[in-house]
Order: sequence, then structure tokens, then C-alpha cells
Amino acid sequence: MTDDDLDPLIHVPTRLKIVATLAALPDGDALSFTRLQDIIGLTPGNLIIHLRKLEEAGYVASEKTKNGTAPKTTVALTGTGRTALGAYTQALRNLLGGLNGNGRPTQEDSDQTAF
Amino acid sequence: MNKPPDITQPLNDNDSPLDPSQAAALLEQATQQARRSLTAITPQIWAFRALVVLVAFGSFWLSVRGQHPYSGPTGTSLLAAFPLVAVNIVWTTHALRRAGTGVSGPAQRRRNAWIGIMLVVWIISYAITAPLYHSGASHPTWALYPASAPLLFIGVAGAVTGAVCRYWRLTAIIGAIGLVAAVAGFGGPVGVWLIMAIGFSAVCLGAAAYLAWQRDHDGVILP
Repeated sequence: MTDDDLDPLIHVPTRLKIVATLAALPDGDALSFTRLQDIIGLTPGNLIIHLRKLEEAGYVASEKTKNGTAPKTTVALTGTGRTALGAYTQALRNLLGGLNGNGRPTQEDSDQTAF
Repeated sequence: MNKPPDITQPLNDNDSPLDPSQAAALLEQATQQARRSLTAITPQIWAFRALVVLVAFGSFWLSVRGQHPYSGPTGTSLLAAFPLVAVNIVWTTHALRRAGTGVSGPAQRRRNAWIGIMLVVWIISYAITAPLYHSGASHPTWALYPASAPLLFIGVAGAVTGAVCRYWRLTAIIGAIGLVAAVAGFGGPVGVWLIMAIGFSAVCLGAAAYLAWQRDHDGVILP
């Protein structure tokens, strides 16, 4: 196995942070653009560029809603994105010589971040 | 014809390609950071709750253990407990609000519904104390009920609804609290407070220790 087996879309620091952050949410939940920006510490412009690439690949889905007068954008990891991150994690583990982490980039316990 | 974007092209210095060990460390760090930001109830909150129940129930026990006839926890012991309980409520509310900011979706709605159900159970289980008192129940009976019954009801309701929502960790913790409350009832109107103080505090400390351990051993890539 080589570095080429790592999904090039995720294998970029900023996008890896975005995907890992969204994967910490329970399946189906979404994060507001501003909260995601706050957690990752990116400028809005930079975050938009990376989100667009992830959205084009179907890894994330964004939704714009009208919250009172201000528009609100929420972002969620799709099933495809979760699967891609799982495969990326597995590929990394294989490349690193079978490290035995728990391999859970996604939520199995609903209360991992719920409480 | 539009050319597809080159997704492997770095956008800036921060997006230069990673080697696998760097990628693993970054994935680990980003996951832990996200979990910390999005998790409301931390080990510190459970540790503080252990102190709250030890002081609150402990002071109730100290105030009733020499009473003849039994008249229940004194006003002084209630005054000692209420500031700590108030701080716990404020801290918990703040933590839930902080973790839930900007989060939406079915899991978030389920969590809010669960909190709502638990609040209703909590209020009802304590509200029953008033008619019990009004109907002329003896002081020991009236004292035994609020000491253990509400937490027994909350333990059962929380464990059942928690299991339905697949909040396994929370189900175990709240179920243990219900179990302590059930056992404490056999301690009588004086012993109940001591059993609650020690048992409930031990459960909270156990929860704090487990969460802290899990936080340090829940790696995605690294063990």
C-alpha cells in the first residue's frame, strides 16, 4: 500500500480537519457554517473553497435556511463522506503498519457527543 | 469545456501534502478537538456533581442523625446544599448550550426531547411531595420520599428512555443512580441520606473517571 491509496480529496490538512470535525457529529446532524469555522479556525473564504470541493464530491451537503432575517448555512457529512473517511482511516492504519486504534471516525454511541 | 478542479493542488502552505504519520496525527487531533467542542458533559462536571451530592446529602445526614423526634433536614443544611446545586444547574445548562450551538438535526432534536422528558419527570417526582405532606404523612415518611424516590423515578425513566435513544453511557450512569436510590430507601429516614451521599457521589466519580479514561483512549488511528 502507498500514499496513492489515500483519498486525495481528504488527504489535505484543511479538508481532513473539516471531515473529521463533521464526523464527530451523530449521523444526520449538521453544523452551522460559523460553528464549523469557529472549531477549525479558518477564514470564511478558505472554508468555502474547501467545502465546495467536498460538496462537489458528495462528501458533504450544505443547506441554506432563513433564520429570522439572517440566512444560515449548515453543513453535514453525507453517507458517502462518512464511508470515504472510514476508508481513508483504514488506509492510514494500513500504511502505518496496522496500528490498533479503535478505528471509529464515526459515531456508534449516540451519546459520544450528545451529552 | 470546463476543466474539473485539481483537488490535489495545495491552496496555500497549510495545504501541502501530508505524510501518513502527519495525517494520522492531524486526524486524531481534529477528531479530539471536535469531540471536546461538541460534548456537553465533561469529566469535570461529573466530578463537581460528586462533590455536590456528597456535601448536600452529607449535610442532610449530619443534620438529621441526632434528631428526636425526626423532623427532616434543617434549614442550615439546606442552605449549605443549595448554592452548590445552583452552580451545578448553571454549569450544566451553560455546557449544554455551548456544545449545542450551531448543531442541528435529528440527534440534536432527540437530545433536546430527552432533556425535556427528564425535566418533566424530575418536576413531577418532587411535586408529589406537596400532596404527601398535605395529606398528613409522618415526618419520617415525608423525609424518606424526597430523599430517594425522585432519583429512583429519574433513574428508571432515564435508563429506559436513554436505552431507547441508544445513549448507552448515560443509561449506565443514570441506571446506577436509580439503583443507589432504591437501595438507599432501605436505610430509613436517617441512613437514606448517608447512603445517597456516598453511593451517588461514587457513581458521579465513576462517571468522571470513565469519561476521562475514554477521552484519553478513544483514538481513531492511534491507540
